[in-house]
Amino acid sequence: MSILEAHDLRRTFTTTTGVLRRNRKQVEAVRGVSFAIEPGELFGLLGPNGAGKTTTIKMLITLLLPTAGSANILGLDVVRDAREVRRHIGYVFGGDRGLYERLSAQDNLRYFAELYAVPARDQRARIGELLELVGLTGREKERVEGFSRGMRQRLHIARGLLHDPALLFLDEPSIGIDPVGARELRATIAGLRSAGKTILLTTHYMFEADELCDRIAVLSQGELVAEGTPAQLKARVTAGSVVEVETFSGVGPADVRGKVDAVGALPGVRSVVVDDRPDGETVVVQVEPGVDVTAAVLGTLSGIRVGRVVTREPTLEDAYVQLVSS
Amino acid sequence: MLTVGGVISFRGLFNWLNPYVYVPTMLVAPIFQILLFVYIGRSAGVGTDAFYLVGNAVQYASIPCLFAMANTIAGERWTQTLGIVLSTPANRVALFVGRSLPVIANGWFVAMFSLFVGGWVLGVDLPVSAWPGIALTIAIASASCTGLGLLQAALALRVRSTAVLSNIVFGVLLVFTGTNVALDSLPEWMATAGRLMPLTHAIEACREVVAGASLSAVAPLLLREGLIGAVFAVLGLAALRWVEAESRRHATLELQ
Amino acid sequence: MRGFMRGARVLGVGWILQLKILAVSAFDGILNIIYPLFFATTALLMFRQSGDPQALVYAGLGAAVMGTWSAMATSASGALQGQRWQGTLELLVTAPTRVALAVLPITAALATVALYSLVATLIWGRVLFGIEVHIASPLAFAVALLVTLASLATFGFLLSVTVVRYRTGWALGNLLEYPGWLLCGFLVPLDLFPEWVRVIARALPPTWGMDAIRAAAAGLDPWFDIAVCAGLGVGYAALGAFLSERLIDSARRHATLALT
Repeated sequence: MSILEAHDLRRTFTTTTGVLRRNRKQVEAVRGVSFAIEPGELFGLLGPNGAGKTTTIKMLITLLLPTAGSANILGLDVVRDAREVRRHIGYVFGGDRGLYERLSAQDNLRYFAELYAVPARDQRARIGELLELVGLTGREKERVEGFSRGMRQRLHIARGLLHDPALLFLDEPSIGIDPVGARELRATIAGLRSAGKTILLTTHYMFEADELCDRIAVLSQGELVAEGTPAQLKARVTAGSVVEVETFSGVGPADVRGKVDAVGALPGVRSVVVDDRPDGETVVVQVEPGVDVTAAVLGTLSGIRVGRVVTREPTLEDAYVQLVSS
Repeated sequence: MLTVGGVISFRGLFNWLNPYVYVPTMLVAPIFQILLFVYIGRSAGVGTDAFYLVGNAVQYASIPCLFAMANTIAGERWTQTLGIVLSTPANRVALFVGRSLPVIANGWFVAMFSLFVGGWVLGVDLPVSAWPGIALTIAIASASCTGLGLLQAALALRVRSTAVLSNIVFGVLLVFTGTNVALDSLPEWMATAGRLMPLTHAIEACREVVAGASLSAVAPLLLREGLIGAVFAVLGLAALRWVEAESRRHATLELQ
Repeated sequence: MRGFMRGARVLGVGWILQLKILAVSAFDGILNIIYPLFFATTALLMFRQSGDPQALVYAGLGAAVMGTWSAMATSASGALQGQRWQGTLELLVTAPTRVALAVLPITAALATVALYSLVATLIWGRVLFGIEVHIASPLAFAVALLVTLASLATFGFLLSVTVVRYRTGWALGNLLEYPGWLLCGFLVPLDLFPEWVRVIARALPPTWGMDAIRAAAAGLDPWFDIAVCAGLGVGYAALGAFLSERLIDSARRHATLALT
């Protein structure tokens, strides 16, 4: 049996703007998302900002009621059996909020242990174990306001695990953490996975998803656009190549963005994306197998100063960019 | 620059313009403050309804004047735009005075509204002929209190909790300016301190106008009120200049 | 029985930790004590003019209890906004424990701190105005005080859950400060008001608490007032617990639990 099943989840928000003249606007944040997570799996939900990742998670963890569709966790309905669902899930989000700044790490954990009904006699041992797991042993008496982002994030994870949930939700846990902290965090997550925890992770760092996830679903504009293992997703574009062209275009007729459509129309080209660099742009062209478009691309870009030109194998990031930009 | 810049920053930074905040804090709360002291006065058997009505309506102008001015400055630190504004070559005096104009207008409106509605609720007779004088007196009160607001806004740059500071200044004004206890019933030192604060002379003038005094009769009081406001405004501008220099040296302008 | 014990534990631990938080944020707490003092001072200066020492004792006791109301009205209505700001509101809601059990300790801690305001105002009146409050029956006085604070906590609890859907709920709390001061009989006897106002006043627990405190200080029988105050407190707690579930559901529907 799957631990989590989501069927055609939808969520609409009504936003109002203006004080005197209220303009109501309906925004469809999630439009029909279905997926399932199997026991022991680390499932990644990937997507750009505003794709609906957090809204999806909040419906699953009972913070938001879906506008339509349904979801169940361990067979319990997230709307009807909300309180029972809450016993079995843990929720951790990124950023430095969500902790009582003025309490020590230990007091934060004590409080949530109480709220999650961890039996009094087990609390001390459980909190000790978790502090050990996230590498905060020795710092537990300090107030959280003095903690770095990475430490806060690990404390968050300890908090989410207090009641040994069947399913742990990690919503962009690595956001805003420095590279060293992020690496420690990934090690913690990998440790949880090998200990058999079922985890739903959202992130927009490709390498993080590639390194950690068993399966990935890509969310774009409220809809799932792809689902599979990292290898499967890569395979969607690996049977081809990527041409990267550095350009130094100015504004006006020499702007590289004006030529994107022309490049995209070349035979053998799957998609074109322009990334900004401090001193110019990089034109990333995904190419079908067995076609060499380099000369044609450079020809189309004539009139623009061109730097280095590289042809390489596609990565998961290319697969992702192609999915969310098409 | 002077007026347009003022209006825009007032709207942008002063989230009280949200009606859910403005109506309770600016329009309803002063009426309750008036009622509270009118009834305490009745309970203690001291003073008349008109005495408390005028005192508290005028004194309540300090809420918009103090909070809005501090918010204008501290709000900018919050959104990290203070550094940008301070580094523009625009004349800073004009800049800050421009910012205070809508604050003064709002303070005037709040006090006038409280006086009008409070008078109606309590059935206190405010003669039609007195209103032009009342309007002028309250305008001067509001302006001089905004002068104090400017000084307080400068101090607000050095402390984090600007709301706490504004509340305390409001409390000091409540006790010292003769709002509910006439100056000659206060201990001597308190009365002396009160005479150095904004609002004190305006409240006295407004009571006299309501009692039928002519504008020329209260002119000396209004002049003194305006002068006190001007002194605080100058102190405020000087303090802003100093804080700005200090902050640049120690990089404390931003919140982090 | 086990459920009851667990509920009591959650409340107790929550109360202690919330007190810890309030103790650390002393700077914000200072305002809660100082701000009512300005009003207490004004009121005492007003009553002093009447020249009646008995009136000054009346005002001294009333001004002291008055501060507890403002600590509750303003802080309680902002309490859940504070949790929202910290990002902990969502965590309280996703926990399997009823939200009521997480919120009540917050207002209970606020009521506990309000005791400081009360004592500070009594000392202030004593030192600056020479007001000596004689307490005829100390035990009844202590019980009256505790029941008043407890009923304030449950009233604050109802208030805090009522405004949970609104991000500007704190403005409502500020708005309630004056009417509470006016209506609860702290400084103004209820018979100065028209009947319909007295009906509202009698629905507020501090009105009865204040009566009980005055009666206990004067050596009169406070127990009926204490009982009504306690009854109202329990009633508000029940209403708050009932509403908290509905309002949280409504917040889930309208997506207002998070800050953005």
